[in-house]
Amino acid sequence: MLRWLIARLGRAAAAAWLIASLVFIASRLLPGSPEQQALAEAGDLSRPAAGVLSAANQAQNRLALRRRLGLELPLFYVTRSPGPPGRWQWHGTANQYHAWVVALLHGDWGHSYRDGQPVLALLRQALVYSLPLAGAAAGLAVGLALALALYLAQEPGGLLRQVVFTLLSALQVMPLFLLALGLLLLLANPDFINILPAAGQGPADATRWQLAGYWAARAALPLLSLVLAVLPELTLPLVALLRYETRAGYATTARAKGLTAMQILRRHALPNAVLPLLTTLADLLPTLAAGVVVVEVLFALPGNGRLLAEAAAAHDYPLVVGGVLLTAGARLLGLVLADVLYFLLDPRLRPAA
Amino acid sequence: MKVALFSSRPQFGYWLALAWLALLAGAGLLAPLLPLPYAAANADLQHIATPPEWSAPSAHYLGTDSLGRDVLAGLLAGARRLLVLSLPAVVLATVAGALAGAAAGFWGNRGLRLPVAVAAAALAALWWGLELPLSSMPYWLLGIAIILSLVSWRLYRLAARWLSFALPLDSLVLGIVTLLGAVPRLILLLVLVAGPTPTQAQFLGVLILLAWPDAARLVRGQMLRVRVQPFVEAARASGLHAGRIWWRHALPHACRPLLAFAPLSLASLIALESALAFLGIGQGPDIVSWGSILASMRQDPTTWWVAAGPGVALLATLLALQAVAKARQLEVNN
Repeated sequence: MLRWLIARLGRAAAAAWLIASLVFIASRLLPGSPEQQALAEAGDLSRPAAGVLSAANQAQNRLALRRRLGLELPLFYVTRSPGPPGRWQWHGTANQYHAWVVALLHGDWGHSYRDGQPVLALLRQALVYSLPLAGAAAGLAVGLALALALYLAQEPGGLLRQVVFTLLSALQVMPLFLLALGLLLLLANPDFINILPAAGQGPADATRWQLAGYWAARAALPLLSLVLAVLPELTLPLVALLRYETRAGYATTARAKGLTAMQILRRHALPNAVLPLLTTLADLLPTLAAGVVVVEVLFALPGNGRLLAEAAAAHDYPLVVGGVLLTAGARLLGLVLADVLYFLLDPRLRPAA
Repeated sequence: MKVALFSSRPQFGYWLALAWLALLAGAGLLAPLLPLPYAAANADLQHIATPPEWSAPSAHYLGTDSLGRDVLAGLLAGARRLLVLSLPAVVLATVAGALAGAAAGFWGNRGLRLPVAVAAAALAALWWGLELPLSSMPYWLLGIAIILSLVSWRLYRLAARWLSFALPLDSLVLGIVTLLGAVPRLILLLVLVAGPTPTQAQFLGVLILLAWPDAARLVRGQMLRVRVQPFVEAARASGLHAGRIWWRHALPHACRPLLAFAPLSLASLIALESALAFLGIGQGPDIVSWGSILASMRQDPTTWWVAAGPGVALLATLLALQAVAKARQLEVNN
């Protein structure tokens, strides 16, 4: 079983690595590459002097820029020389991909093309906002999903129960950005109800506690959107499983013993129904990572999602590749967590001594 | 039990959903023919963020957004975009995913044995492609390679088993699916369009690339159940060719869950595409979709009429697709 676990994680890690590598190589191959962008920007800055520069000077500038961005090396271990004959050449370790990998393993994730800041530092700064947001959303959603599922799974369905169920299935297809936009228009609109702040950096001369309170209020709407967005896919399968379990023989026995419906659900059905939920839980982290992008852009939070969206809009590839690596890492973490929880909760799955 | 399942209320919802989708398709088809006073991408700079108005003959019936674009024209353009982009993307992705998943499930890692000559021909073609520029490769050589591999295929029927090798189809498909699933879809989409703005065809390709693994996984799982059914064994026993069993007997059964899955897949793709347009990444400024109209809302949150039309249309479309999927699910289960 341990071998299976390692193989599974190894496969996921390899996939994460491969996709980041593909993104890296594609980003260096694409036209509209960083070099041209940076050159255009440099041209803008030195516009008065541009006419003075000779062609040789321009070529020299170009070379210097390529060297500064680490683009003067060949892209991969083997590349094809340009031109009609197209010979394949072996470059050894002196290539961009190798340099990228070595730097990555040394903790240097490259520098943003836009402001030259190290990618890792940018990601770390942004995580201060994104991690609490995603973590709180995950915790709240799981707790709420358990409570709601226990409520919805009770057999005789009342009107309220049906309404909640219908709302949940409608929420299931509702895209997060529409949900968040609706909440924003409803609750943070100067024309309508304006109870929650949705933009800005907080009062300038606030104490630490006031600032904390401000950010808590700021986080309310994004948090609500995220929780509502992941709630249906957590709750609805759990309800179906709970209903299935209550029809099993042991539930009948428990009913015959005189337990109430709620006791049967909580004590007997829930432990059996929770196991398949763990697979959903493993998918929760990537879903949240994608949700954070939308929510942070919409509510102007300076977190990872907004960083990634802005980097993608500005063709800032080192940052994009860093974001991909981070997200893939989050998914890996989700897989590990789900597998460990499986082993903890179900002794049958544990490796035999 | 049947009576309870087919009570009148779900039926009504189903017909309502179909009616909405038909309306949407009609609007999308007829969008270029309708006599609209304004084009979707054109800004009417004299009427910026005006509320809906019905009095003037060529008024903005649903108002304009903060850039001065007509909301009604934008709605129709968005409907057309669903029809020419999302729908083909889902159809192609479902077909591709179904074929890949069904093949992977049916033949597994050892089932599909190819003659060694095919591998040799493939290697030769690969070497050719790497060594020579593609344009200078004489096409008659390629033709000869294809004919040779066809001949060797006939020979293979006669040849001994050791002349062939097994293609690990299952691992191949699952590997690609895992690779594409390593990063959430929205983020992968963001990354893929982060380069130069993709053309319509490239964007379609990206959407297909993102959407096919779901169908493949579903059909593969179903195929694993179908391939051990008695009728498949009977077909084998009667001496039919494996490809024919796969295509005529196993595939139709394995694809049945797609009936209910395809509408949901379309819904999730529409949501994904709208989210990307809402974020405003990888789209030319002249492309108007529901997501991009909703995005213009962010500049001026007081213009409720900008959000109302596309928001309601998007939600109605997704709910309708969900209702259709539910009705289809009942059909599949019975």
